Amino acid sequence: MLPRRLAYAALLATALSAHAADYPLQLQNCGHRLQLDRAPASVVTIGQGGTEMLYALGLGDKVVGTALWFNPVLPQFKAINDKVPRLSDNIPSFESVIGKRPALVVSQFEWMVGKDGVVATREQFHDLRIATYAMPTDCEGKNNLVGADGTRTASYDVQTLYKSIRQLAEIFGVPARGAQLVQSLSDRQAQAVAKVQGAQRQQLTAALWFSSADLAADPYMAGKNGVAGYMMQTLGLRNIVSSTEEWPTVGWETVAKANPSVLIIARMDRRRFPADDYQKKLEFLQQDPVTRHMDAVKHQRIVIVDADALQGSIRQVDGMEQIAEAVLQLQGRAK
Amino acid sequence: MQTVARPPAPTLLHAAGLWLRGGLLTLAALGLLLVAVVLGIAIGETEISVRTVFEVLANQLAGASYAVDPINQGIVWNYRLTRALVAACCGAGLAISGVILQSLLRNALAEPYLLGISAGASTGAVLVTVAGLGAGAISMTTGAFVGAVCAFALVALLAHAAGRGGLHNSGQIVLAGIAGSQLFNALTSLIITKSGSAEQARGIMFWLLGSLSGVRWPDTLGAATVAVAGTVVCLLHARALDAFTFGSESAAALGVPVRRVQLTLLLAAALMTAVMVSIVGAIGFVGLVIPHAARLLVGVRHRRLIPVSALMGALFLIAADVVSRTLIPGQVLPIGVITALVGAPVFALILLKAPGGRP
Repeated sequence: MLPRRLAYAALLATALSAHAADYPLQLQNCGHRLQLDRAPASVVTIGQGGTEMLYALGLGDKVVGTALWFNPVLPQFKAINDKVPRLSDNIPSFESVIGKRPALVVSQFEWMVGKDGVVATREQFHDLRIATYAMPTDCEGKNNLVGADGTRTASYDVQTLYKSIRQLAEIFGVPARGAQLVQSLSDRQAQAVAKVQGAQRQQLTAALWFSSADLAADPYMAGKNGVAGYMMQTLGLRNIVSSTEEWPTVGWETVAKANPSVLIIARMDRRRFPADDYQKKLEFLQQDPVTRHMDAVKHQRIVIVDADALQGSIRQVDGMEQIAEAVLQLQGRAK
Repeated sequence: MQTVARPPAPTLLHAAGLWLRGGLLTLAALGLLLVAVVLGIAIGETEISVRTVFEVLANQLAGASYAVDPINQGIVWNYRLTRALVAACCGAGLAISGVILQSLLRNALAEPYLLGISAGASTGAVLVTVAGLGAGAISMTTGAFVGAVCAFALVALLAHAAGRGGLHNSGQIVLAGIAGSQLFNALTSLIITKSGSAEQARGIMFWLLGSLSGVRWPDTLGAATVAVAGTVVCLLHARALDAFTFGSESAAALGVPVRRVQLTLLLAAALMTAVMVSIVGAIGFVGLVIPHAARLLVGVRHRRLIPVSALMGALFLIAADVVSRTLIPGQVLPIGVITALVGAPVFALILLKAPGGRP
């Protein structure tokens, strides 16, 4: 299976590189047509996911401004990131973005740059002859005009992530780098899946607890169709949460009664809610009069995963590997 | 002899009858409350049979030893019962606070949040959660309580200063409350805009509309203590409250120590509201409307108005919580949405059916 996949990828890579010199370049992107006469000389990124993706493609020298950070930058990109001005930790203003005179703006989320964008609409940039690229991870199979965090109309698919990578590589005329990055990510994911499937003897159920507004309050759980839901499903874990929202609040009553075989909890640097601390999460699970009777808690089938890895970004594969590794250990222990 | 002895007999009988009626009414009220609490426990996100509910209650209260699944046992005793009790206490507390403020300020629009309390609570909660004050060591509840008390203190000081040391004009405290609320709401928006991500803002908005999720026994004890203490304080001042209905000058003329009573009752209302808001968020509508509904039922005398308002507030909030958990399957709505959405039309009906001319 693997050799065939490799051959296919190589074929794709050559096909793409054949297109590389094909400027003017045209692509369909989230309901807009993107046309470029040459590779953009400079780019502003809004959203950490897109920023790190460009760094991973070796395009850090083209980035003239970044905004909307959730976590510290990945350590391997720290040196390059230190040289790039950060327009804002959160939402940048329209003028701070255009002030950098970028040829292209890459936006991770439609609620930043899009129809109801808080920074601007795409047309506002186009009027100034600045091209825009919206990441397919956020627009394909997702309606961002409905619901607080948008609503997924179809399950997240890692292919949209690969598409983002390939298209960005294509835009900057380095399609081979894109194909290479996609290849390494998909190989790692395939390995993680194969590992778990080899060991799995029965369908496991799972729930993923991200955080809670107050320690005992209804927790934010991973929805069925979101990135975390996709990761669980791909690894053969059935999510007990059926909501299509990205991060629905689900009562502990419902979670406890569904009694998942595995409970996944998120670890993060953020410390805004007490439940952000995974130690506090563990304490709660063991002390609460209801959750301490759940099978996953009684038998210590709790998996800890990095919150950064639960987004449609190049870090997603890290999360898949962490969950796969933990499930494998749990299976090994059960023998 | 006979003719002389007669008069006291009917009075005594009358008094006994009144006591009996009062006793019966109290019993009926407690019964009603009990039924509501049991319903509140029996209905929830997941299905638990009424039989299981009674078995759990028997186990916990009467020391019976029915074999109940520990998860069900925990849900009934630790999640749902506490939730119903906190709903009852909050409903009662908010309703009584409303009664106090409407009487003291002689303003039909007065309600507990008028004193800037909910605005202050949200600022406190947002400071702790969104801005990260205390780095996770302070809970949102504590932040909300401190915020509520600070906001009230500011509003009270402003009203006090504007009134040259007294509460001669109830308009001053209303205006001070509006100014205070605007200030704290602006601070909340500032903090959210400055450092908010969509996910957090959503969590906060949900809480601001009121949420009973996550209340446990310590919250229940706190809410119950405050609700009972508040009710007792108000009942002790029932006569004074009656007098205030005619204005503070009239109250003074009737021998009410105006300054002291005003201060005690305002503080009682503010503290009750602050505690309730910090536990369940800002549940609107109850404090404004329940006192009016109660007045339409039993008149304006506070000796009856206070207990009836408390009972109605308690029943209303338990019912609203049940509706909020069952209206959309698999999803819990903010209870504040239900109190307004269901409560407003019901109140409109009461208003329309009431005899005209009443305030």
